[in-house]
Amino acid sequence: MKWLHHILEIFREELHNSLFDEGVIVFFFIVPLLYPLLYAYLYGNESVREVATVAVDLANSSTSRDFLRKVDATADVEIVGHCADMQEAVNLIHKRQAYCLIYIPADFDQALMEGRQAIVELYSDMGSLLYFKAVLSSCTEVSLAMNKDIKAQRLVGATEKQVSTFAYPIEYEYVPMFNTQNGFASFLIPAVLVLLIQQTMVLGIGMMAGEEREKKRRGILEPHVIGKRPVEMLLGKGSAYLAIYVVVSAYVFCVVPRLFHLVQIGHWTDLVAFLFPYLLACVFFSMTISGIAHNREVFIIMFVFASVPLLFISGISWPSCAVPPFWKAVSWFFPSTFGINGFVKISSMGALLRDVRPELVGLWIQVVVYGITAWLVYYRSYGRHLKDIIEVAEEKLQARWAEYM
Amino acid sequence: MSFGKGNKRVVWRIAQREVARMLSQPVYLFCMVVAPLVGYVFFTTLMGKGLPVDIPVGVVDEDNTAITRQVLRNLDAFQQTAIVEQYANFGEAREALQQGKIYAFYYIPQGTTEKALSSKQPKVSFYTNAAYLIPASLEYRDMKMMAELASGAIARETLYAKGFTDDQVMGVLQPIKMEMHAIGNPGLNYSIYLSNILLPAMLMLLIFQVTIYSIHSEVKEGTSKRWMELAEGNIHKALMGKLLPQLLVWIVMGSTYLVLLYAFWDFPLRSGLWPMALAALLLILVSQAFGVFLCELLPSLRWALSIATLWGVLSFPISGFSFPQIAFPAPLRALSYLFPLRHYYLIYVDQALNGLPMYYSYLNYAALVAFLILPFLLPNRLKKCLLEYQYTK
Repeated sequence: MKWLHHILEIFREELHNSLFDEGVIVFFFIVPLLYPLLYAYLYGNESVREVATVAVDLANSSTSRDFLRKVDATADVEIVGHCADMQEAVNLIHKRQAYCLIYIPADFDQALMEGRQAIVELYSDMGSLLYFKAVLSSCTEVSLAMNKDIKAQRLVGATEKQVSTFAYPIEYEYVPMFNTQNGFASFLIPAVLVLLIQQTMVLGIGMMAGEEREKKRRGILEPHVIGKRPVEMLLGKGSAYLAIYVVVSAYVFCVVPRLFHLVQIGHWTDLVAFLFPYLLACVFFSMTISGIAHNREVFIIMFVFASVPLLFISGISWPSCAVPPFWKAVSWFFPSTFGINGFVKISSMGALLRDVRPELVGLWIQVVVYGITAWLVYYRSYGRHLKDIIEVAEEKLQARWAEYM
Repeated sequence: MSFGKGNKRVVWRIAQREVARMLSQPVYLFCMVVAPLVGYVFFTTLMGKGLPVDIPVGVVDEDNTAITRQVLRNLDAFQQTAIVEQYANFGEAREALQQGKIYAFYYIPQGTTEKALSSKQPKVSFYTNAAYLIPASLEYRDMKMMAELASGAIARETLYAKGFTDDQVMGVLQPIKMEMHAIGNPGLNYSIYLSNILLPAMLMLLIFQVTIYSIHSEVKEGTSKRWMELAEGNIHKALMGKLLPQLLVWIVMGSTYLVLLYAFWDFPLRSGLWPMALAALLLILVSQAFGVFLCELLPSLRWALSIATLWGVLSFPISGFSFPQIAFPAPLRALSYLFPLRHYYLIYVDQALNGLPMYYSYLNYAALVAFLILPFLLPNRLKKCLLEYQYTK
């Protein structure tokens, strides 16, 4: 049972190193603790409400005023000013006192009376697509309701059902699933949480590996790794990181969504069965990468830089069906791609474990492949270690020899 | 600080030394040239024309008549939509949605055609997977339009039969109509919406990091004393000599993204090139200034890098380019102005998208200039660190 003893020794030492190195603590604990809170707080309103809007009502009739009043009453739009002409209204938008503009032309009522189509023009600042969405959906909603009334008035004597059938021979219904209010937080935060796990792990483990290498370069050998086999180091260190991240994940995936009332409809056993290979794949992936990178800081720079592209190729914001094949292939190298998709499917969409089989298989393949590559990393550095030990010993011997001479 | 000939010589000497450093360490080539270019190529090739095409959707057509098949063929013909699968029932379609095979599906219950023809007002439904916001909203648009068209087509037939003209038909069917004008981005192009900020933001992140690395790695490598000697003990000259060659590279990389956005993709640039070029230059300078400031504040390479990372990554959401700042909680709304990227974004909206006179953006330009004061706050702290700090970790 010597090997188990070895693994436990490395496990203990690595845990100790992680918990007492400020730089590592930042990535292992502080960032996973604070970032989700910050993001959830930032996106807490889910969508933009009461977008400041100006109205230019040239018709100024009871119908047009009624329209504007109803639009003002919707949750998404707030009419902050009535302007006499377009110039004045546009000025308000330029000064960022309003983001959208509703323009009702002078012939609005006349058109309605003559049975022509009355046009209401909407303008939106495109600094954000959400302004556009807010004003369009609010105005459309109000106009649909008013259209119904207008038609009812015209078809005197008809029942409401007849009116509705006349206008809409086929009725339709729209059902947004899994994120019923089309909220921003519910859509983005699950992906950010999953990515955060991988990125902080890569950075933290990379930092520790870099440090160890630098010590070695200066001739300091860590006593606990002497005489250990690569596979023992792999398992000992890996289980230390895994243990830390089980705790971190419990917070990130259980506490955070509850705190901020994110959609979480998956079954917890499915979630655990999925997240376990994800964490494991991330651990071996990080260990592999940390062995390749020779300069700790460059490593941080590159991986931080990769965060945004990784979020995009995962298919969560930009649909994966539109990701070009080359980038899709690149994305398969990262556990976050499978992790994000599988997690969103289980947690936000209530998919079962069998529904995420492709992602699960992908993750287990990564566990095996990155497990082997991580082992290779330690195999190589273990060999170097031995050489270092021998060199140090030889130097000492020579020094002593010189003393005697 | 007057700048005589002697000073120029000192700065020149340090700049030469910096160029040699940049050429000898692949880090610089990688982080200053390769990474930004890969980032540019990434977003160029990822978003292509700005809207995803042929988003896979499914249908459940329980009615399966000539008319419903025609409606679905028309839906398939929309650019954003591709019908990839027919499902036998609602449950199967929902499962495919959960597995991520489709982003939306159309449900036509049995008897729809018959009811429509006999004026019994049947109901069709469409379901989108809103956990994927972009494809869901595009599908919402297409599927709603299809429903409107199908419904309108039948209503129109009835009215034409009664002798109504085209104008009158629309007046009867839809007395009040909304006409939408998306200022500066009429096609709702996602690439315009995202790339305009993502590219400069990525560059900003790299500038933070490279600036910090180039200063603090001198301590780590034990060359900082030599560097200060060359600068005759003057921290300002030392920094200027070091940052100038880097600035030149950043300006080239900044120009590259400007060319890419506004010449290659031809994105809106309604106030002309110079307001945005100025904003880009200021963003580059501010990023360097911010890097120097962090070095002054935190005399340790990895701490400065870590904080720069956290700040830089936070810049993306807090600039408000995707989720608007007016929807943030009040404290974060205030905090957002401490992020240079927020000001860059506001300048971009005013200048590139809306084409306003520069006067409207003067506060944002001024804010960016104000950030340039940062490195002058604690220069002696950095000097001390460069001269005395022993790298231990």
